[in-house]
Amino acid sequence: MSTKSPTEADILRPIQNVSKLYFIMFAVAGLALGAFLVAWGYQLYQGLVVTGLSDWGSGGGVTWGLYIGAFIWWVGIAHGGIILSAAVRLLGMDRYMPVARLAELLTLAGLSAAGFYILVHMGRPDRMVTSVLGHYHITVNNSPLVWDVTVITAYFVLTATYLALTIRYDVTRLRDQLPDRFDPIYDGLTLGYSEKEDQIIDRMVWWVALAIIIMAPLLLHGGVIPWLFAVLPNYPGWFGAVQGPQFLTIALTSAISGVILLSAAFRRAYDWDHIITDDIFRGLLLWLGFFCLLFLWLQLQQLTAGSFHPTVDHGAATASKFTHPLYVIPILGVLGVLGFIFATTVRPALFTKLRAMIASVIVLTATLAEKLYFVLSGFWYPSFSIYEATPGDYFPSAIELSSLLGTIGLVVLFFLVVAKVIPVVELHAIEHLRGDHGHGHEHEHEPVEESTKQPEVEA
Amino acid sequence: MSADDESFHPLGEEWENDLEGMLDDTEYDTDLGMAMAEDAMRVTRGELSEADFHEKYHEDVLEEFGEDNRPTQEAYEKAQEEAKGTVGRMLSRFDGDGEEPRRDVMKKMGAGAAAVGLGAWATVDDGEQQAAAAQDDEDDESGAPEGGEGDVQWGMAIDLERCDGCLSCVTACSSENNLDQGVNWMYVLEFEDPGASSSTSRNRLVRPCQHCTDAPCEKVCPTTARHTRDSDGLVLTDYDVCIGCRYCQVACPYGVNYFQWDEPDISTDEIAEFHEDMDGDHMTTDDGYGSERWVDSRAPRGVMSKCTMCPTRQDGQMGDEMVGTTACEEACPPDAIQFGNMHDESSDPQTYAANPARGRTLAQINPPSADELEEELEGADDDLESVLEAADLDEEELGLMIAVQITGGDEMGDGDGDVADLENDVTEALAAIESHGLGLANQEVLAELNLADEPDLDEPADGDEEGVDVDEEEENGDDNDDDEDEDEENGDDEDDNDDDDNGFEPDEEAAQFLLEQFAGTPASNFKLLEEQGTNPNIIYLGNEPGPQAEQTEPTGSGVNYEDISYERADGESVEAVDNRKDVLDEGTVGDAGVSL
Repeated sequence: MSTKSPTEADILRPIQNVSKLYFIMFAVAGLALGAFLVAWGYQLYQGLVVTGLSDWGSGGGVTWGLYIGAFIWWVGIAHGGIILSAAVRLLGMDRYMPVARLAELLTLAGLSAAGFYILVHMGRPDRMVTSVLGHYHITVNNSPLVWDVTVITAYFVLTATYLALTIRYDVTRLRDQLPDRFDPIYDGLTLGYSEKEDQIIDRMVWWVALAIIIMAPLLLHGGVIPWLFAVLPNYPGWFGAVQGPQFLTIALTSAISGVILLSAAFRRAYDWDHIITDDIFRGLLLWLGFFCLLFLWLQLQQLTAGSFHPTVDHGAATASKFTHPLYVIPILGVLGVLGFIFATTVRPALFTKLRAMIASVIVLTATLAEKLYFVLSGFWYPSFSIYEATPGDYFPSAIELSSLLGTIGLVVLFFLVVAKVIPVVELHAIEHLRGDHGHGHEHEHEPVEESTKQPEVEA
Repeated sequence: MSADDESFHPLGEEWENDLEGMLDDTEYDTDLGMAMAEDAMRVTRGELSEADFHEKYHEDVLEEFGEDNRPTQEAYEKAQEEAKGTVGRMLSRFDGDGEEPRRDVMKKMGAGAAAVGLGAWATVDDGEQQAAAAQDDEDDESGAPEGGEGDVQWGMAIDLERCDGCLSCVTACSSENNLDQGVNWMYVLEFEDPGASSSTSRNRLVRPCQHCTDAPCEKVCPTTARHTRDSDGLVLTDYDVCIGCRYCQVACPYGVNYFQWDEPDISTDEIAEFHEDMDGDHMTTDDGYGSERWVDSRAPRGVMSKCTMCPTRQDGQMGDEMVGTTACEEACPPDAIQFGNMHDESSDPQTYAANPARGRTLAQINPPSADELEEELEGADDDLESVLEAADLDEEELGLMIAVQITGGDEMGDGDGDVADLENDVTEALAAIESHGLGLANQEVLAELNLADEPDLDEPADGDEEGVDVDEEEENGDDNDDDEDEDEENGDDEDDNDDDDNGFEPDEEAAQFLLEQFAGTPASNFKLLEEQGTNPNIIYLGNEPGPQAEQTEPTGSGVNYEDISYERADGESVEAVDNRKDVLDEGTVGDAGVSL
């Protein structure tokens, strides 16, 4: 634990300073995104033939590949992020308050990347509005893809609202120290603010958090995203009830990993050792371990049910999992991370921040690979597996691979930009930390903190 | 409505049974209620006028309920004036006059009709209804076959044991629809099936789109681009609406979809130009509701395509004679593909699937025309031998023709497809022979053709020698034949005498046996992946691929894909490809040449 006392100046530091490293990172991320935009432009010009995809069946390929795998991955990161943040607000997990906003921002960034993938994946993205919205009242009754678009949009709005509500408090209080050039943004964010609203906003935020916590497992990564696959009986690797929980665990592992990496980056860049403390990393790592355990447990369920006395198609789909590197390596990776995290609980000295970051990178890579395998293996082992002479060959094309760098670049850019405009650690967290450490409260903030806790107690 | 196979109600059989149960609970006539309900549905589809509906049941309703407070004569006249527009209002009368709760009125007034009306009418607005009615009229004009209930569901019976793997259907389809290389809307493959018990025929699958009644591709489509035409049950893609998400391809368990990954090789202008003489451009056609939709021929870039079952043919764009045909069916040399209305029991696919041996025989025997026969038979004696000699037929051919007629029964020639045409040819040919003087219902003659028992032994032995000949020719069938004969002789002694006097009653079993001996019976009669609840509209005859069935390498069909080519509207000849990935890889940026 740091002995420094967190101050407003700490959380304003990203906004008030820029470094050479910042510009380098900005340039690299911008280049990655730019390169993919060019590649996407070429794809729009030539058609999706530039990908490694083909038709499944006599087309000898897979019709969904890296684009869809990465789409699920980003959506998972996004959904996990907002669940994390909502849990902090709802369950009074104050310890994680300093990273709550990072998690919320990660949700917006992740959803943006996922939404971008939807467009990139389409044959005719120009028709999204006319064809999808125009028939929405009909298709929403049937199409899991329309459920997806609906729920993702709803979550984007919900998260943005959530963020906008909590930012008003911070921006009003820090306004004098915020750069004038963004005044229009701050004016917009704090439109009609009065201190009387603080209490109401806190309650609203609590209710939105409740809605998110309830909706996330029901509708999001435990719902419509897995249902894209789980409702299709032709794919034994996809079909069935386990995909909801399985997807949710993947979302949470990858989101926690994402938050760990983000937190580490910000802590290092802005000397936030006393704000994003080692304690937070230890805690996040434990949660990561817990969700890794659930992830592996649900994989085990599928391996067992698919191996003991399976139907022919289910047996083939499961058999592949025992041998295919795209499945075996990620599973072993997650297992290794779980082992490490367990070891740190037995012997706390094993924990270092770097190791936590490595564990996070392993989990993020593993979940991406597992998602890719999940999508591809559906087409490799369908129930109607007769097309053996035209099997589902696939390797992501250069353009598809560049989309990964592009979307990671997009998310990094998002944080680089946002960090210059609003505080990515909320003022409440600073106030809270100071309160915990016995430092003096600023008088005006005290009643606000009281009211923040009220609903939590009720909960 | 295309969505229900057996039930008349769009909500299906279960709902219908519920209605029936509800009616059973009342003191009123269930049959009347259900009949009214069924006709009420026909009113919603525009097949029956509201006024006719009223009239049809007026007396029954009076008898059953003692009153008919359905729309009065005045409303009936008004309804006529306003054409279809008042159906909803009429049905609202079933809501009662305000004194009785709606449910009671429903029970009393033919609950089926009311319930159906309230459910179904609400979904059909006036415009659609008129369009639907107009569509029906069009169908009538264009000669589209009508099913028992007047609804059409195009589909096929595919005889996998007759298919010789020549891939003519593949090239015909690709040519007609101007498909890119590797886009095999029609695909033929041969497979090994390690899990199957000893198979009696070749493992081959002919795989067009199954045009499922409960099409999963349509269900998952986020845009309604993939849709089922109400008028004839074809599952089509609106190329102007599809966004290319490919979820339909993912949801389809059969793998029949082909995405247009790049710019198609042939332009729409070239396609339209090629079809200039046609009553349409072979691309857009009426959707049954008065608007043109682009659903036929190759897809434009970025959207999904698949076998369409030739909607522009079905809509009469290529002429009346092309209605009820598909390119693949026409091209198939052994007539392994039978296309027609699956809701019509007398259609080609249904007749063929109901009795494959007979269907196969019909496709193979090629009966002489009646005129030809009359000419040839002139001056010939009227005994069997002379007739056969003069007409240049052998006993087997004549026997098969008669067997076709016997097994055809009263429905012979009832349909309006190729099968019915062939049946009529047979009927006419046989009539010509009979009119020449050879009694084809005569037991002696039939016995010689293996279609009846031998007449009593004390009859003149004239035909006996010939009978022996026949037995020798048909050695395979001897044992079975004798068994059947014994069975029948047990109880038919008395009848035999009558037969001799009054004309012989044809032996349907023997006829069927003859057909099966000639054409064989398929290993099985199945629909593909029926367990997935798709309700496909293709009936297969032959070996059903089991769960372990695997396509053999290379394609293993009678002819290899690389050996065939097809011509497109721009005159270009395209070599067929069985694995489209080989073609698409050329466009992949940074193709690593490896696979995950």
